[in-house]
Amino acid sequence: MTADQPDDSGRRAEGDSRRQTEGDAWSAFSLVIGGVLFWGVVGWLLSEWLGSDLFVMAGLLLGMGGGLYLVWLRYGRS
Amino acid sequence: MSRLLAAEGSGFHSPGPGDFEYPPIFGEGTFFTKPMLIIVLGSLAAGLFFYLAARRAATVPGKTQFAGESVYGFVRNGIALDAIGREGLRFVPYLATLFIFLVPLNIAGIIPGLQFPATSRIAIPLFLAVISCVIFNAVGIRRQGFVGYFRNMMFPPGVPKAVYGLLAPIEFVSTVVIRPLTLMLRLTFNMFAGHLVLLLFILGGEFLLLEKGGIVGIAAGSVSLLGSIVLTFFEGFVQLLQAYVFVLLSALYIGGALSEEH
Repeated sequence: MTADQPDDSGRRAEGDSRRQTEGDAWSAFSLVIGGVLFWGVVGWLLSEWLGSDLFVMAGLLLGMGGGLYLVWLRYGRS
Repeated sequence: MSRLLAAEGSGFHSPGPGDFEYPPIFGEGTFFTKPMLIIVLGSLAAGLFFYLAARRAATVPGKTQFAGESVYGFVRNGIALDAIGREGLRFVPYLATLFIFLVPLNIAGIIPGLQFPATSRIAIPLFLAVISCVIFNAVGIRRQGFVGYFRNMMFPPGVPKAVYGLLAPIEFVSTVVIRPLTLMLRLTFNMFAGHLVLLLFILGGEFLLLEKGGIVGIAAGSVSLLGSIVLTFFEGFVQLLQAYVFVLLSALYIGGALSEEH
């Protein structure tokens, strides 16, 4: 609990590889789902409003593309 | 499914979501049902455990104190320090509380007499996920400022400006909505599905053995009941694992909010 525990400093680096990977995996998952959900809903609202089912499909694809692009942007470039 | 089997005249009611609805133990409606009893018992058990562990705190710990320190140390070293780093020490009280609250509620699913994971009722994971969500967002806002936090979250660098209109809402929704949602659903439905599988194996085995009878019934029922023992241990493992995953992901989200610099 106090500052004089030398073994703690190394934990971050060691933990980065194992635990952070799990967090990254779920964050990436959230991004793809979030993209599909948000733009899917936007597309659905547009189709309700304009009366064409195409907007749902366009929104879903757009959201999926955006989500995948964000995953690549965050985790794919290092 | 159950209607189909009933129509065949077998008389076996396959377990379903209805088995998660309990009548009130006392009072009316959903005032005090079995899941609530489990919450009370689980909280008391966790409280008692740590009271006994901390009652006579000694430099050379006794058995109970050692067990209590192991649990706390596991959350402190295995989750907080690993997932957040040194700053994670501030969050150990929350994370440890979360863990020791979730473990008895999950493990109640395989404790004889209780045999129901209270966390399979969605309200409990929902509430805990909302708390975790509020904490990691508040931590991020305090660290990076309100504007800074949402700017870092929603506008990753290295993207043409025009694309932000497409990407920023995705980032926002994924962090503020999907994260707590998956936190909640993962725990709830792991417990839900696990309980359902145990119900199916145990009730199905009992039905085959006692009511269907015959060589086939007895053989299949025995296999089913033996399998249910194996599955009970497996469920115990899943229940511990899911409590750990819930706490670990809460910690990772807090750690991410503290150091977001994309």
